[in-house]
Amino acid sequence: MNKVKRTWQINGEEHQTEIPPVRRFLDVLREDLGLKGTKEGCGEGECGACTVIVNGEAVLSCMLPAGQVPENAEVTTVEGLEKTPGGRLLQAAYAEKGAAQCGFCIPGMIVSSYAMLSRDPSADPARIREAHAGNICRCTGYEKIVEAIQSAAEQWPAGTKG
Amino acid sequence: MVMAVKELGTLHSVGKGIPRLDADEKVRGLAQYADDLNVPGAWYGFVVRSPVAHGRLRGLKKDPGFDWSQVVVVTPEDIPGNNIVDLMGRDMPFIAHDVIQYLGEPVALVAAASRHLARVAGSHIRADIEELPPLLTLQDMVARYKEDPAQLHELASQTIRKGDTEKALSEADMVVEQEYSAGHQEQLYIEPQGMVAIPESDGTMFIHGSMQCPYYINPELCETLDIPPEKLRVKQSAVGGAFGGKEEFPTLLAGYCALLALKAKRPIKIIYDRNQDILYTTKRHPSWSRYRVGVMKDGTIHAIQTEFLLDGGAYTTLSPVVMYRGILHAAMGYRCENVAIDGHVYRTNTFPNGAFRGFGAPQALWAWESMIDELAEACGMTPHEFRLKNCLHQGDSTPTGGILRDSVGSPTVLEKTLERANFSEKLKQCSHGRRGEKKWYGIGLSFFAHGSGFTGDGEARIKAKVALDLEPGDDGKPVVNVRVSSTEMGQGTCTILPQVAADALSIDIRHTAYPMPDTFKVPDSGPTVASRTAMVVGSTIFSAGKKMKAELEAFVSAELFDGQPVVLEQDRFCGSYGDKEMSFEEAAAQYLSRKGSLRVYDQFKLPEFIKWNQKTFEGDAYPAYAWGCNVAELEVDTLTFEIRVTRVTSYWDIGRLLNPVLAKGQVEGGLVQALGYAMLEKIEIKNGKYDADRMQTYVIPTTLDIPEMDLHFVEFPYEHAQPGAKGVGEIPMDGLAPAIANALVQATGIRMRDLPITPEKLFQMMHEEKTA
Repeated sequence: MNKVKRTWQINGEEHQTEIPPVRRFLDVLREDLGLKGTKEGCGEGECGACTVIVNGEAVLSCMLPAGQVPENAEVTTVEGLEKTPGGRLLQAAYAEKGAAQCGFCIPGMIVSSYAMLSRDPSADPARIREAHAGNICRCTGYEKIVEAIQSAAEQWPAGTKG
Repeated sequence: MVMAVKELGTLHSVGKGIPRLDADEKVRGLAQYADDLNVPGAWYGFVVRSPVAHGRLRGLKKDPGFDWSQVVVVTPEDIPGNNIVDLMGRDMPFIAHDVIQYLGEPVALVAAASRHLARVAGSHIRADIEELPPLLTLQDMVARYKEDPAQLHELASQTIRKGDTEKALSEADMVVEQEYSAGHQEQLYIEPQGMVAIPESDGTMFIHGSMQCPYYINPELCETLDIPPEKLRVKQSAVGGAFGGKEEFPTLLAGYCALLALKAKRPIKIIYDRNQDILYTTKRHPSWSRYRVGVMKDGTIHAIQTEFLLDGGAYTTLSPVVMYRGILHAAMGYRCENVAIDGHVYRTNTFPNGAFRGFGAPQALWAWESMIDELAEACGMTPHEFRLKNCLHQGDSTPTGGILRDSVGSPTVLEKTLERANFSEKLKQCSHGRRGEKKWYGIGLSFFAHGSGFTGDGEARIKAKVALDLEPGDDGKPVVNVRVSSTEMGQGTCTILPQVAADALSIDIRHTAYPMPDTFKVPDSGPTVASRTAMVVGSTIFSAGKKMKAELEAFVSAELFDGQPVVLEQDRFCGSYGDKEMSFEEAAAQYLSRKGSLRVYDQFKLPEFIKWNQKTFEGDAYPAYAWGCNVAELEVDTLTFEIRVTRVTSYWDIGRLLNPVLAKGQVEGGLVQALGYAMLEKIEIKNGKYDADRMQTYVIPTTLDIPEMDLHFVEFPYEHAQPGAKGVGEIPMDGLAPAIANALVQATGIRMRDLPITPEKLFQMMHEEKTA
């Protein structure tokens, strides 16, 4: 199969790859680049565990052919969050509030939180629930996740994208 | 309300909402789940399955046109030991060799260098099967049971008898009869099942993966692999949710991996995709209950007669114990001197049903707590009056004649929930299906207990063993490692056990750690099931910690403090003459350098007064019970019949709260799982196959489905298992479905007796009612 060359900024670092364009972006991240923080829960875009941010948009990496990730795209995965003030805030809030239990949905969940707050740090609980409806968690009942995001939102660094 | 607990000392970690010790690695994406393990040289395994649900296997046909040199195939002839998965029965093979009992039963195993190639190779193996008629559904099973149970293959049965139920039923002023049923529920942990088997050069088979119970896999696999227990090492990777789904099933997956690894002489990895995971793993047993309950005019329950049936699926597995827990909860919670319960598990031709949070109790309580509302109505009483009149109090006897001696949260949780929810007032505001309204409002109640720890003689048989190791940590500083086989799967073991150890020693929790269980390093503290970790394993850690504390105090006294009496308190060793003091860290470092590491063992002992007869099911079925009460409020859209649970109010007695944040997380998550069980999660069997086989079709609650939850604890610590926790893992799953059904009656006038309760079913019932 023909391969395509791509250069991406993943978590602030440049990665050059040569990949079959239909290879799932999730597999490129996990298997080719060793970024195993991003998880596969369903493989069909239902659970959100594979959520990553591409050019500011939260996307499901299990449904995304890697060839569709544009050249020079800025990609953020769970591993990249700690490099940003907002990401660190979210990580601390998730930990403190008990938002992670088994933790398997968390890489996708917290990336969705980061994408949402980067766009709109004024989000109220209803908006938070709306923005995370595509991230399935089986452990927490979502209460502590919503609490954590609210708590991070209240302290979100003003005027930044996080 | 908090009762005094003797000799507890000052608790500094227990009772605090300390963040999970694994939170950091989880929020950073660093936790290593099975599929994240780096296993050089691993091949991928694939299971070739029967395409029919019932039949006789004539043989396997391998496509001669396929290049078999690039793959490894395992069939029953390759199994070194016995082809048996030994759970509660010895009827299930790892790989079918004669009769096929369910669709998807393994007929061969394949491994190859890539997942794709393994799957392709598997598709070139065809099982030649003479089909037999299958029994597939609970409905067909119950129909046969009613006609003649002898037509069914019974996997297990058990009775409970107290008093003279037939006589009491004839004496009762009224006898109310009713039937209830519930369907399958899939655990749907977000991390699918995954396992790795690594054959090591010294003949050890190393099993590493997603599991609840390392000491199920060892010894169960030893018989199949024909290796001694010391040659089978089992280690847990991070577990992305389990809920019972990773209790017994991982033994199968470990077996597939190990059998392939033996033949391939290389590591084998199997990670199920979601479709395989839903189709070919255990689920909650579908259930059917029939009650005949005799009540007196004043609302006293005089006799309870019930049958409790479980659809066991194809093999025995853990079904007997699930049924035991079911019947032990099927008449629990209320005073009654005449009780007759018959429990049965029958075979159907589906994947064996298995452990799922609650383990038979949610099925039993779904029926029983719905029945209680029907009894109240028959007596002309409100749901709360009837419960308050009949509920068990301290000193009362359970259906098996056990006495509730202490730590009894009844009737407190019931009274407090009723008050908090303003139940009696809101009950008057219910809609009862009034015409001309856009929305119907209803409020419903449930009240229940959940036995903590193993059912019956389980804890006495297992005698949970734990160890604490004082040893140098990765940073060279002394650390007290909690060594147990109790696993962390999201519920909080990795945090509560260090909290308990820290308080037993009176040291800061930062000096403790919980390494992932590895059977080469931890004693067998039993499986991580049955709401037993906090109470049974926690209390054993507490006494091990006390032992270690005494040992270290003796050392500091003799070798560092010139023989003066020494007490370790709040992280410091203090001599009684007041002239010497040393930090725990410094003294423990001295201990390590002079004497080497220190291991302290302990073992769980039931209080001597706990008596149980496993044959007759008489006595104390559990050492203690957790108690809960749910009030559910809901709205029904009168146009679409959409049911929206708006609010859940509840009080819980789970004994001493080890960690309030984690405990609340268990309750919130459990209630939401129970909401799914009650209203959303539905699997039916079409053409022999589950119709919901992916996350698109098996729907669980999202952020948008969650009611407001008003949750509270009242602590009745269990004094015979210090520091007094009882268990919170399962009870949140137990009572929401009947509270919702009871609320729905108040909203619509319609009683739903089959789970899940969907708008479609409600519409159908309303329609039938209208036309009747």
